[in-house]
Order: sequence, then C-alpha cells, then structure tokens
Amino acid sequence: MTTSPTDQHATDPDERRDGTSTVRYVAGKVGGALVSLVFVVALGFFLFRMIPGDPLVTMTRERPTDPEQLAHLRERLGLDRPVWQQFLDYTNGLLQGDFGTSYMYRRPVGDMIAERVWPTLLLVGTATVLAVLLGLWLGVRAAWRRGGTFDRTQTGIALALWSMPQFWLGLLLLIATQGVFPSRGMTSVDPPDGFVPQALDVAWHLTLPCLTLLLVIYAQYMLVMRSSLLEEMGADYLRTARAKGLRDDLVRRRHAVPNALLPTMTLIFLQFGMVVSGTVTVEAVFSWPGLGLLTYESLRGPDLPVLQGVFVILAGSVIVMNLLADLLYRVVDPRVRAS
Amino acid sequence: MTPLLELQDLGVTYRTADGDLEAVRGVDLTLQPGETLGVAGESGSGKSTVAASVLRLLPKSAKVTGNVLLDGQDVGAMRWGTLRAARWSEASVVFQGAMHALNPVQRVGKQIAEPIRLHTAASEAEIDSRVRELLDQVDLPAAKARAYPHELSGGQKQRVMIAMALACDPRLVIADEPTTALDVIVQAQVLDLLGRLVEQRGIGLVFITHDLSVLASTCSRIAVMYRGRIVESGDAKEVITAPRHEHTAALAAAFPEVGDAGSRYAPATARPLPDEGERDPQQPVLLSARDLRVHFRDRTGSTVAAVNGVELDVRRDEIVALVGQSGSGKTTLARTLLGLQRPTSGAVYYDGEPLPVSTSGLRDYRRRVQLVLQDPSSALNPRHTVYESVAEGPRIHRLDGDERDLVVSALEAAELRPAEQYLTRLPHELSGGQRQRVVIAGALALNPSVLVADEPVASLDASVRGEILGLLLRLRRQLGVAGLVITHDLGLAWNIADRVAVMYRGELVEVGAVEQVLLEPRHDYTKALLAALPSAGRDDARYAG
Repeated sequence: MTTSPTDQHATDPDERRDGTSTVRYVAGKVGGALVSLVFVVALGFFLFRMIPGDPLVTMTRERPTDPEQLAHLRERLGLDRPVWQQFLDYTNGLLQGDFGTSYMYRRPVGDMIAERVWPTLLLVGTATVLAVLLGLWLGVRAAWRRGGTFDRTQTGIALALWSMPQFWLGLLLLIATQGVFPSRGMTSVDPPDGFVPQALDVAWHLTLPCLTLLLVIYAQYMLVMRSSLLEEMGADYLRTARAKGLRDDLVRRRHAVPNALLPTMTLIFLQFGMVVSGTVTVEAVFSWPGLGLLTYESLRGPDLPVLQGVFVILAGSVIVMNLLADLLYRVVDPRVRAS
Repeated sequence: MTPLLELQDLGVTYRTADGDLEAVRGVDLTLQPGETLGVAGESGSGKSTVAASVLRLLPKSAKVTGNVLLDGQDVGAMRWGTLRAARWSEASVVFQGAMHALNPVQRVGKQIAEPIRLHTAASEAEIDSRVRELLDQVDLPAAKARAYPHELSGGQKQRVMIAMALACDPRLVIADEPTTALDVIVQAQVLDLLGRLVEQRGIGLVFITHDLSVLASTCSRIAVMYRGRIVESGDAKEVITAPRHEHTAALAAAFPEVGDAGSRYAPATARPLPDEGERDPQQPVLLSARDLRVHFRDRTGSTVAAVNGVELDVRRDEIVALVGQSGSGKTTLARTLLGLQRPTSGAVYYDGEPLPVSTSGLRDYRRRVQLVLQDPSSALNPRHTVYESVAEGPRIHRLDGDERDLVVSALEAAELRPAEQYLTRLPHELSGGQRQRVVIAGALALNPSVLVADEPVASLDASVRGEILGLLLRLRRQLGVAGLVITHDLGLAWNIADRVAVMYRGELVEVGAVEQVLLEPRHDYTKALLAALPSAGRDDARYAG
C-alpha cells in the first residue's frame, strides 16, 4: 500500500513555533485594545466639549462673580487655551494617572473614581456571578427539554424580566419587601465593629440592588446558553457519545455543555463591561455609592472632568473585558489556537 | 450458530410535520461473525437509518417495527441499562464524517478512552496502554492521543474513529460511509485497515456506502437499498458485475472503471449525448498559466509553495481534468486562474492577453471564465429564487437584452425544462442535482467561454452525478464551452475529460490525453493514485508494474 504524503506529514504540534504564534496573537490583541483605548480617550474628550453651555456659568451659579474673577478662573482651569492644547494637556495628565480636577468638588477626579469603583465592582461582580450561574443552569435545562413546560415558562419569565426598566423593578422590589432590606447606601449609618459583622452589614445592603440587577441581566445568559446548546444538540459527536453507551446526563455534561459554553463565555465577558456601565439607574435608585451614582450626581453639574473620567473608565473596562475574553477563548478552545 | 446481527422485517417511520415518512420498510438482513456485509444506496435510501436502529440511536420521532437481534438478543426489548451496556461493547459504529463525529474540544486520546472507562474496570495505566495499542493498530503514532481533532488530517481522524470503535473489542462494527470525503489514496489505506481488522479479529462488519466500487473490494455480500427497501442482495461480485435491479445498475455505472471503453465519454445519463462533431485539434488556447507560482506563509512563518511553477493550457472545446488529493494545490491554482488570488510570480493569460489587474478588467474577465462550486446547497443563497440567483450575474455585468429571456435560456441550457416552472422556486424546494443545474445556469447566463468547476459532483448522489457530467459534456459539444474540472475522482476524468493534469504538492507532475495518462501513467504519483482506486476486480493486473 502506498503511503500518502499528506496523511503522514499532517500537522505535528510544534511547541516552539506554537510559542511564537501565541506571543504574536497576544501582542496583536493587546495592540488592538490599546488603539481602541486611545480612540475612547479622544472621543470622550471632544464629546464632552460639545455639550452646550459654559462650564464656568454652572460653577459660579449661585455666586456673583465679576468678569475679572471669571477670566482668572478660566485661566486656572486652562479653559482659555485652544481645544487641541487642552486635549494634549489632558492626555498628558492621563498618562501620569491624572484625570483632572472636579469642578464641583475641587478634588482630583482619579481619587473620586478610585473610591467609587469598589462598590460598583462588588455590586456588578456579585450580580454577574449569580446571573451567570442561574442563567447557564436554566439555559441548559431549557435546551435539553426544548419546547417543554420548563423551557416555555422559564424563557417567558426571563424575557419579561429582561424587558423591565431597572429603576422600575428596583422600586417594585423596594415596595414588595416592605422595608425588610435597607433602601439606600452600602453600610448602616452606624456600622458595627469587626470584619464579619461589617461584611454582613454590607451584604444586607447589597441584597436589593444586586437582586434587581441579577433579575434584569440573567435572561441574556440563559437565552444564549439555550440557543448555543440547541445548536450543539444536533451535533454528530453527541450521537457518538450516546452510541458509546453514555448516560444522557453524561452526554450533556461531558460533551454538549463544554462545547456550548464557548460562545457563551465571550458574552459573559463582554456583558460584564456593559453591566458596569448599566448600573447608573440601579445605583441611583438605591443610592449605592458607586460609579453609577457618581455619574448621576455629576450629570447635574455637569461636572465635565468627572464625567469624562468615568466615561474613560467604563469604556476602558469594556475594552479590557473584551481583551480578556479573546485571550481566554484561546486557552479554552483548542481550535482558536490553530487559526 | 446464532447470527451476530439479524434484522427481521425492520421498518422505521419518522413522524414529521408533513405526515409520516417511511424511511425503512421490510428490511431483512443477517450477518455471521467474521463476515463483511455491504449496504449500498443513495442519500435518503434509508441505509443510515438501518445503521442507527441497530443500537437504537434513532431520534424520538422514529417509530420502529420488526426486530433487531444483536447476538440473538432483541435490541428493541432491552431496558435502558442493558442497552447502554451493549452499546459499544457489543457493537460499535464508525460514523460518517469523522470531522463532526469527534468532540472538537477534547483530545482524541480521551475520546478513545471514554468507552473503555465506561464499560470496563480497567485502571488508568491499563487504559493508557490500551489507547496506545489501539492507535498503533490503526497506524497512528501514540503521541497523536494528545492531539485535538482539528490537528489531524481527514484520514487520521477516520483512523481515530476506527480506533475508538475497536476500543471495547466489539464483535460487530458498523461503518457508515467511513471513506466518503477522503482522498483515493487515504481511502485505500482505510479500506485496507478495515479489511485487515475484520480478518484478524473475526468481527462482523456492516459497511454502508453510496459507492459500490468501494464495496466490491471489501465485502463478501452486498445489499442494495433504494427508497427504504432492499432491492437486491447477494454475492458482491455478482451484484456489481451482473446487477439485476435497475437501481443497482445505475449505482454501478455512476462510478466507472478507468480503462473501461464503454464509459469513456459516456457518463451515466438518461438523456442522449449529441454526436461528436468534427474536432479541430488546433483550437485556440483560451486560458493558460505560465510558470505560475503562489506562495503562502503558514502560521509558523515559513513559506509554502501551494502552486509551484505550473504550466497549463485550456483550449476551446476541450475539458481538462485537474486531479490530485486535497492539499495538492488544485483549488489555489483554480483561484489564481480566476483572478481571485494574486500569483507570487508567473502569469495567467486569457486569449493571449495577461490577466487584467484593474477591478473593471477583472470583472470583464470573470464574465468569460465562470466558476461552479462543489456544494450547490451552500453556493445558492437560500432566500433567493432560482430567477434571482441566475439573474444576478447578468445584472452585475449589465448585460444587454431582456433579463427574463437570458435567465430562461440559461436554465434551458442547463437542462431545467420547462424553465418557467423553476423561476420562482427556492433552493430548498429543489433536489441536489437541480440545485447544481441552477448554479451552472447562473454561470451560463453570462455566456462564458470557460467553466471552472471545483468538484462539481462530489456532493451529489450517484444517480445525479452522471446527469451533471453529461450536461458538462453536452455543453462542450454543443456550445464549445471549455471546462477545467477540478476533482479527486479519476472516474470523472475518464467519463468526460479530454486531457488530464495531475497535481502533486503544487506541481503538475503529468499532463496529457486521458487515455495516455490514465492507462499508461509515467509518474509514480499517478501510478499510486490509480493503484488506490477500488476495483470490482474485472482486470486487476492492469496496473501491475
């Protein structure tokens, strides 16, 4: 029998070459993310310059100021300089970690964001983890018994919740729980001593905003998992697994779900960034001291440097999450490594 | 002796939205240990349904009547636990399309080990050595256990499937189209391997395929299925050389024996072919490649010469078959000829002129040289009617004349008559052969001088295959349309081509008249290709030496 050249010499995984291609892949993705970030910074800067109204007017609203003071203030804030010069100053500052100074509070924006970012991460992180777990579990069950009662009722409920406005659902929950949970803030006015009691206090405050967010966002994880698994369920390798004598739940757990999880994972990461930016209303309803509430407060100014800073952070988080998804995908899906 | 497998009056009915569909009716089959039984039939004949019913792998919508006895036990009456225990340890399946039948994100070693882990109490070390042993049996290095399916070639994946099927030492193996989509040489290796395993281990093998010639060399008995029934069964050689049922004859004729004078310029078509007129051997050269080279960079950064110094002419009124296995560069060559891929060096000439580089020049050129793709189901937009699909080309090229007339005459030229009946149909309402005719009509609507066809019949059923080949031959004889047919199928070349160009690793190793190249091959690779052809054994000494 003649041996086929292509058959015998087909791709032998070569570790060293794999290494260089990984470096190239990562470098490419990181480079792309950096370019996006530069765009976001530029867009943020010029977008907020286009908002009508003179920031000085808002700043000096309830105080009589004479033109000389105004001119002085304008000069101190650098607003008398050409826009491109201001942009250069701004980006220069960003590179040194300086987000500018808040008009309203006269504090460095970087510090204000830093103290608000953790509450938001706590809220969004908890809600996302719970929503992902709930959504994936429901999605798998719904797909496996497609068209059944479970599938139909759960899909309906999830869609109904998904279409509700966050603030409205938040208010409903507030009313429904009748004051069992606190309605505002992250800690009690007089927080207890000790780490564990403090953590419990925060968790107690976290319940309602987290529940609101969870209920609104779990539907997308469920629906994507459901459709992704439905797509896999016709796959030939599942028939192979059944033919091997595997029990139905093993076929699902070992073969169908790992494959269906791949597209879902990208969504989880992408959405994490989106959920962060979507917390404005929930944080406003429950006065949760996070980035969303900061945005809400700054909008009344408008406190341009703060808004601009939050914008960069939120957009940056979407980009970073997207980057993480790309990199992680390469780790979990062997096929992406090859292409 | 209890037969290994016995089907008694097996019937399978699928409940669909459009009513019941009888996929299999009254099928009786028996298989003794150590025997190989071939089941032949086209898609839709019910052969894969029969395979799935043996291990009760049919979807829930299927209703099964009759009995399936596996080693004397009624599979239909088994409890779930008993059935699961019997699956793979009593009988295993080599599924069609190893590409999809393997889990894409699991290493193949793990997939081979899975049934062993499930059905035996073997320790990890024992499983490990068993996987090695299995890979060795199918001539794969043990290191391949750590590979993912996409890192293996088609033939290697098929070997993995076979290794997996043997994992629990089953007494019965069902191979469902195990060699479809494989190159001839790889196919020969896989067939050889299956034959050896049956012989060494005395297992029973049910071999399902649409290609009768494959069965001839592997099976002792053949059953031919058509529309859910077995229409003919008996000794393999007899069934193939002296078919009693007309469908068997059609299947056998679809895969011609290279060298059989009766099938030269005679594809299995029901419509008569026009007589060959006076042929002018000095027809002008339409399309030619001169020292054509296309280099790619693979992901590791090294250069791969996909096309390496190719010289090729296609004249008016001739069909040239470009043969070679996958990866030989056939498709890259075709893409370059069509101007879809820029050559690294060398040039393509059309009608004596080098290929234009401007967008509008290329558009004019593509009107003259049209492409027909392998799979008509994916080549047609599923939401476009036949009319829209065919009219698209004339619209892009702003052809003069009434659009409807153009479409109708193109459809008629592609033998979809009466054309009016097809205009408003959507692709899913057509059969595979009709779809391919629509694709060809779309090309003909531009009145091209050359058709480049990439495996035009590879995804079609045996009985349709001859019709499409007949159409290509008729187009040449009646309209003088030249053809460059890219194929891995030497029988196709024998059926319709005038000249053959054999491609191997980017080079044309042999170019010449069909009779000369296929009957007196000079290059070793051509000889290997011919030797790998499954043969009904009519004249095995032909390729000796």
